[in-house]
Amino acid sequence: MDFLRPVTWEQALAYKAERPEATPIQGGTDVMVEINLDKGRPAALLDLNPVAELTRWSTEGTEIRVGAGVTYTRLIAELGPLLPGLAQASRTVGSPQIRNRGTVAGNLGAASPAGDAHPPLLASGAIVEAESVRGTRMIPITEFYTGVKRNALRPDELIRAVRIPAAAGPQYFSKIGTRNAMVIAVCSFAVALHPGERRVGTGIGSAAPTPRRAPEAEEFVAAALDWEGRSPLDPGAARRFGELVAGAAAPIDDVRGRADYRLHSLAVMARRTLGWAWNDYTGRGPA
Amino acid sequence: MTTVAAPSAGTALDRVDGPEKVTGRARYAYENVPADLAYAVVVQATVSRGEVRAVDADSVLQLPGMIATIWHENAPRLAPVEDAELTVLQSPRVAYRGQVVAVVVAETLESATEAARLLRVDYRPEPHDVELRPDHPGMYRPDHVNPNYATDSELGDPDTALAFASVVVDATYTTPAQHHNPIEPHATVALWDADGLTLYDATQSTSGVRATIAPLFALPPESVRVISPYVGGGFGGKGAPHAQVVLAALAAKQVGRPVKLAATRRQMFAVTGYRTPTVQRVRLGADEDGKLSAIVHEAFEQTATIKEFAEQTTVVTRMMYAAPHRRTSHRLVRLDVPVPTWMRAPGETPGMFALESAMDELAVACGIDPVELRVRNEPTIDPERGLPFSSRNLVACLRGGAERFGWAGRDPEPGVRRRGRQLIGTGVASSTYPVYRMPSQASARAEPGGGFTVRIAAADIGTGARTVLTQIAADALRVPPAQVRMEVGDSALPRASVAGGSSGTASWGTAVLRACEGLMDALHRRAGDVPPGGLEASADTAEELRSQRPLSRHAYGAQFAEVGVDLDTGEVRVLRLLGAFAAGRIINPKTARSQLIGGMTMGLSMALLEESVMDLEFGDYLNRDLAQYHVAACADVRDVDAFWIEEEDPDLNPMGSKGIGEIGIVGTAAAIANAVYHATGIRVRDLPIRLDRLIGGGI
Ligand SMILES: Cc1cc2nc3c(=O)[nH]c(=O)nc-3n(C[C@H](O)[C@H](O)[C@H](O)COP(=O)(O)OP(=O)(O)OC[C@H]3O[C@@H](n4cnc5c(N)ncnc54)[C@H](O)[C@@H]3O)c2cc1C
Repeated sequence: MDFLRPVTWEQALAYKAERPEATPIQGGTDVMVEINLDKGRPAALLDLNPVAELTRWSTEGTEIRVGAGVTYTRLIAELGPLLPGLAQASRTVGSPQIRNRGTVAGNLGAASPAGDAHPPLLASGAIVEAESVRGTRMIPITEFYTGVKRNALRPDELIRAVRIPAAAGPQYFSKIGTRNAMVIAVCSFAVALHPGERRVGTGIGSAAPTPRRAPEAEEFVAAALDWEGRSPLDPGAARRFGELVAGAAAPIDDVRGRADYRLHSLAVMARRTLGWAWNDYTGRGPA
Repeated sequence: MTTVAAPSAGTALDRVDGPEKVTGRARYAYENVPADLAYAVVVQATVSRGEVRAVDADSVLQLPGMIATIWHENAPRLAPVEDAELTVLQSPRVAYRGQVVAVVVAETLESATEAARLLRVDYRPEPHDVELRPDHPGMYRPDHVNPNYATDSELGDPDTALAFASVVVDATYTTPAQHHNPIEPHATVALWDADGLTLYDATQSTSGVRATIAPLFALPPESVRVISPYVGGGFGGKGAPHAQVVLAALAAKQVGRPVKLAATRRQMFAVTGYRTPTVQRVRLGADEDGKLSAIVHEAFEQTATIKEFAEQTTVVTRMMYAAPHRRTSHRLVRLDVPVPTWMRAPGETPGMFALESAMDELAVACGIDPVELRVRNEPTIDPERGLPFSSRNLVACLRGGAERFGWAGRDPEPGVRRRGRQLIGTGVASSTYPVYRMPSQASARAEPGGGFTVRIAAADIGTGARTVLTQIAADALRVPPAQVRMEVGDSALPRASVAGGSSGTASWGTAVLRACEGLMDALHRRAGDVPPGGLEASADTAEELRSQRPLSRHAYGAQFAEVGVDLDTGEVRVLRLLGAFAAGRIINPKTARSQLIGGMTMGLSMALLEESVMDLEFGDYLNRDLAQYHVAACADVRDVDAFWIEEEDPDLNPMGSKGIGEIGIVGTAAAIANAVYHATGIRVRDLPIRLDRLIGGGI
C-alpha cells in the first residue's frame, strides 16, 4: 500500500489524477475502520492532512464554505450560529475523540445512509465543491448520494469544500439511537426553515439506501404554514408533515431497528423538529 | 516490629497499583516481548459445521516472513483431555462457525495477519442447528449445573398448589446471548525453554491455567509457569483458559520460538466464551395477600456440541423466597454454537431477571407494593436446603433502599406519570449472590531491611484485589499498608483460587491473613528479630475451609431504578439507579463502591443494550464489534449510586466479608424492566428492552 502525502491542494489533485484508485484519508475515522475490518485494501492512501488550506472555512456572500479538513469539533465551536443544524448533528457524532478527527467531507466521502451530516446538508441545500485537475464541479447535495455508500465523485475528484447557505431561519436535527452516545443512528431527521423563500428543507437519514429529502412533505408544509401571521403550528398539519416524511423513507429491518419502528420514529422526529423550528420562528421559544 | 497502626480495613485506601497503571508501567500480557518472538494469528472456520478437508498450507508459506502454518494434520499432538474446547487442531471436525481451524506463525503480526487472510481452507460443510428453542427435540437434562449444583429440585406439590392458588403468575422471559467484552482482549505469549513452558497470559487464575494446560502437554504442573500481574477485565471470560492459550503454547512448541497470540475483538465473539441465551418460564402461586404457596422456575439454555456448560439460572430461586411447594429445573440443548462460559454472575444474572420480573407481576396482580411483597415472602431458613442463614439482610436492604430512594407513597398505577413527553416510572428488584470460599495458599515474609512481602497467586483483574489484600495483610501484621508489598498474578507464587464467584477476597484474604498471623507468631517467638535472610511463614486454608459450619451463606441487595420513557420514540433513559447491599464487612469502601456501581452499570447495559444476535443462516453472532454490540456509554449512566448496611456475620471468614464483585449486576435488569412497566404499562419480558419493543408494544 502506497502512502501519498501531498502538501498542497494542487499536488493532491495531481496525485489523484495519476492514481485515481487512491483512497483519500482525512480524519481516517471511516477509512481506518474499513482497513481494520479488512473491507478491501486500498492500493494507496492519499493523506490530505498536510494540505493546510483544507482546514479553513470562510464566508462567501450568504454561503459558508467549509474546507474538507474542518473537524466536527471546530465546526461546533466556530460555526454553531451560522450552521445550527449541521452543528447540532456534529455534536451527536461519535465521541470527543471522533469529533476531533472526523470531518463533514469524510462523512460525504463515506456516504453512509446513516451519516449524521447528511440530513442537515440536505435540509439547507448544500453544494459539494468537487475538484480535479480537470476543473471544479458544484454538485448539489441532492445529486451527490447515488447509492448505499456511493456518491457522485468521479475517480479523479476530491472534495475541496462544502458550501452551505448560512441559516436564514431556525434549523433542527434529531437522531435516535439505541444508546445515548457513540451510536450509529437508527434514523435521523433535519429540518430547516427558509422564511425568505417561504420554504422548508428536510433531510432523512438511515431510513433509505441514501440520505434523502422528503419533497412532498416540504411542499405540503410550506403551504400549510402561516409565514405571514406566524400563527401557531396546526397539530393536524404537523402530523401530516410527519406522515409525509415517513412516506418518503424506504427503511429496512436490521440489527439497529425494525423498518416499522423507523417509519414511526421518523414521523415523530419530523413533527417535533418542525414544532421546535416553528416556535423559534414565531418567537414562542422552545415548546 | 511493634509498630501499631490504625486498622486499614474499612478505609478507602487508593489502589496500590494505580500509579503503575496510569503511567503505563503496568505490563499486560500482550506487552511482553521475549527475544526471537514470532506472531501467531488464528484462522477461523467459515462453515458452522462439517469437516476440514484440506488446508493449502504451502502457498502461504511462500509469503515473506512466514514461519509455519499449523492445522490438524501437522499440529503437535495434545494429550486427550475431557475439555474439547482446549484440544485444538486435533481433528478435522468443525463444531461451530469461528472455531479455530489453523494458526499461522510469522515474523511480524502484519505478515501473520495477511497469511491468515489468504490461507485457503477447504471444507465439507454440513447443515447446522444454531437456534435455541425451548421445545427443541434435543433438550436434555444435564447431570448437574455450574459449578456443581443439582440440575432440578422439587419440594411439595407445586402443580396442585398452583392449581389452587388464588393468584397465579405464569410468564416466560428471555435473555439473549451476551459477550463479556473486557477492554483487554485475550492474549498469550508462550515460551518454551529447558524448564518447560512459560505463559504470559491475561487470566483470572494463573494457578488454574497452569493446572489446565500442563496435562495437555503432558507436563507436571511445576513445568508450567503462568504470569499475569495485570489484567484488563475478565468478567468470567478469562476465568478458565480458552483455545488461544493452548494455540499459543502449541505454536511456540511447533516453531521452537516464543509466540504471541491475541484474539481480536471480532474473534472474541466466537472463541472466548459468552453467556448462553435463556428462555425461562416462571410460575408463582400466591394467596390474595401475596404470600407464595408455589414457585416454579424452568430454564432452557444452549451449550456447544463439543463442551457442556450449564448456566445455573434457576438455582437462585431455591433460596430467595419462602413457599412450601417449589420446583426448579434446567434443560440444555447442544447446538452448533461457540462454547458458553461463566459471565458476570452466571446463573443469578439471567435467573433473577426472570424471578424478579415475575415478583413484580405478582405485586401488580395482588395490588401489593413490590417492596412489601418481598418482605412478606422472606424465609426464616434456606427454603430448600433447610439450613439457617449465616446472615440475611434482604429486608434491611429493601427497607433501607426504599427510604433513600424515596419509594414511600409510590402510586402503583402504570403509565400515569408524565414529565414533558416522558413517562416516568420506578421499579425495584431483590439481589443476591452466594458466598463462596475456595482453598488457597499464601506466604508472608518479613524482609531484613524492614517491610513485608506477601505472596499469593491471586488475580487482580481490575477489582482492587491487590489493594484489599494489602490492607488485610497490613492489619494482620499491624503495620501501615505502605510497609506491605503484595505480589499476585504469578503461578510461581503460592497457589490460589480463581478470581471468580466473587470469592477472591474471602478465599485469598483468609490465606493472606493466616500467613501473616503465622509470621507474627514466628516474629514474636524471636522477639521481633528478623534474621539476615528474612523470616517467612505460609498458610494453606484447605483444612480451615473443610471445618466450616454448614450454613446458607449469601450476600443480599435491593436495586431501585427510575426510568423515563419517551412517549413517542420509546427511548428509555435510566434516570436513577440505587443499590442497597448487605455484604458483610466492607474492607475498602472505595474499591467496593466501584465494584457495586460497576456491576449495576453492567445490569443497566444488559437491560437496555447488550445482545449478541445469532445469524440463523450463517450460524454465527452477527454484531461482532463494539459499534454493534452495544455496551452502555457514559451518557447512558446518569446517576448510579450504591450504599451498604453494616453487617456483622461471624460465620463467613476471618475478615467477615462477603463477595461484592458480582452482586451489583444481579436484579438490576429486572428493576429497570419493572420501572419501564411502571412508566408505560408495558411488560417487557425479553431483554434487551429495545425501542421497537416498546413502540410495537403500544405506548
Ligand atoms: C467510533 C466511531 C464513531 C462514529 N460515530 C459516528 C456518528 O455518530 N455519526 C456519523 O455520521 N459517523 C460516525 N462515525 C463515522 C465517521 O467518523 C464519520 O463518517 C466521519 O465524518 C468521517 O470523517 P473522516 O474525516 O474521519 O473521514 P475519513 O475516514 O478520512 O474518510 C471517509 C471517506 O471519505 C473519503 N474522503 C475523505 N476526505 C475526502 C476528500 N476531501 N475528498 C474525497 N473523498 C474524501 C475517504 O476516502 C473515505 O472514503 C464514527 C466512526 C467511529 C470510528
